[in-house]
Amino acid sequence: MFAVLEPYYFFTLKAIAREGTYRFEVFTSIASLAVRVYLLRVVWVALYARNAAPHGVPLHTIITYSTVALLMGLILDIDQTRLLHDKLHDGSIVVDMMKPISVPFYLFADGTGEVIFHAALIVPSLALALLIVHIDVPSAPVLAAFALSFFLGYFVGFFLNFMLNCIAFWTLEISAVQLIVTWITDLLGGQIVPLLFFPAFLQQAIFALPFAAMFSTPLLIYIGEIPPARYLQVMGLQVLWIVALGAIATLMWRAGARRVVVQGG
Amino acid sequence: MPIIQTRDLRKTFRSVIRGEGLGGAIGALFSRRYEEKVAVENVNISIEAGEVVGYIGPNGAGKSTTIKMLTGILVPTSGTIEVAGIVPHEKRRQNARNIGVVFGQRSQLYWDLPLRESFELLRAIYRVPRARFRENLAHFVEILDLDRFMATPVRQLSLGERMRGDFAAALLHDPKIVYLDEPTIGLDVVAKEAIRNFIADINKRLGTTVILTTHDLADVERLCRRIVLIDEGAVIYDGKVERLRDEYGTHRTLIVHLKDPQPDFTLPGVEIEHGEPPTVMLRFDRHEITAEALIRRVTARYAITDVAIVEPEIEDIVRRIYLEGYQKPPARAAEN
Repeated sequence: MFAVLEPYYFFTLKAIAREGTYRFEVFTSIASLAVRVYLLRVVWVALYARNAAPHGVPLHTIITYSTVALLMGLILDIDQTRLLHDKLHDGSIVVDMMKPISVPFYLFADGTGEVIFHAALIVPSLALALLIVHIDVPSAPVLAAFALSFFLGYFVGFFLNFMLNCIAFWTLEISAVQLIVTWITDLLGGQIVPLLFFPAFLQQAIFALPFAAMFSTPLLIYIGEIPPARYLQVMGLQVLWIVALGAIATLMWRAGARRVVVQGG
Repeated sequence: MPIIQTRDLRKTFRSVIRGEGLGGAIGALFSRRYEEKVAVENVNISIEAGEVVGYIGPNGAGKSTTIKMLTGILVPTSGTIEVAGIVPHEKRRQNARNIGVVFGQRSQLYWDLPLRESFELLRAIYRVPRARFRENLAHFVEILDLDRFMATPVRQLSLGERMRGDFAAALLHDPKIVYLDEPTIGLDVVAKEAIRNFIADINKRLGTTVILTTHDLADVERLCRRIVLIDEGAVIYDGKVERLRDEYGTHRTLIVHLKDPQPDFTLPGVEIEHGEPPTVMLRFDRHEITAEALIRRVTARYAITDVAIVEPEIEDIVRRIYLEGYQKPPARAAEN
């Protein structure tokens, strides 16, 4: 069993090592996170000073929300399967297809390495953030539910990202689509503004989308807006999205790989 | 039982027909008009284990397309392929264990890893037993002289170093067959020679079957007994290198150093290329006239100091075939 998984284990290790070589990027990403934590705090304090708390969400909760959201972004904002786009772009995908490995699993292993590296950055980032703002910490069971939901959200994000990079099978270039999806995720994922603040008639639809399953669901669990009674329902929806997007990603991969083997890339 | 066998192998590609200029470019976004382009047509090749075959042809002849089908990453339009008992595109990963591939223009090493770690990764990918891996690696390090740059990240290697690394990478798992796609392209003479020796060595020592595509026919002359010539997707010659030389390279050149420069040197029935005076070069068909008879005819008219005969280079032969197409060799009746 280990022999089967060993190459992927190596791919993950190598990806961690690779990320570590870009030291400048590590420092700038931590520093920029601290700046964003500070800026969001300033914005929310200013907004709350002139308005009543919307939907009864107090200021300290909203600051907790946006800080945790930024920390989650260290992982969820990663373009984990960019390697696929790069390999399609320069044609080196054929070299990988000539090896006795599963290429999607290779991409997953590589992306996991990248994520593990960035997850390690959460600790210093959190320490830095705590110097700037206060973060509420929920009870242990809620924290556990948050962690599980975050984990599920990661897979929703992974498959969305994989689908996005699969587009390169047909177009080679995906930066425009990627930009649009990033905007949509920023807006409808709830990373910057909680989806609770959207007009009621939009909320039903927005909560049902996969973008909400990435950021909003774990975050609303964290601040207690989603009570334990609804955990099963919201996490069930996350699982549903994982299955659906996973299926679409698989189909896209198959069609794309077929295009390579039939059309020669 | 051949290790590689193709029957009526055919591959066509569809490409979008596009009009000229900006209008054409925009039209192509919507147009779904395609044209079929034949890349490989009716290729029948049968290769025995342990052979070293030169697979050559001009750019765009269909060499790479054939190689891609043999590796299983391209599905034939029609026809059959069997490589070591496996249909490559049906069992791509199983086929991958039997083959090694070296592309001159593309590395399979991991760009940002030191060479040593690339090998370690390949050991895991191909599940090479550790003892076997250490043994193979030690051997490759020695004969390819890899020791100096084993710890260097691949992106910092010179082309010659990278190619040597790529050869070791392709052979670590003891493949039965290696496909070498222009492995000496861009290398200096010393590096080329090292690579050629290496290929000859693994073929001799391990009996590895080698399919070599190249534009450097010195590679072919040095390594291959058999040559397969492909042009416009079809095989136009398949046989021994000597036979090609024999049948097609009927023209030899006689180089004559005249005693005095003769600007109006003529000899009826012989094609003359003037060299640096007082040298003239006479191109003749050895089926029509022997060298001895030609020399006698020259000396009957002119005083000479020296003669030399140049045999046709395989490169010249192949160039003529590319330009003129392969014709059935002329009848041998004129030999006497």
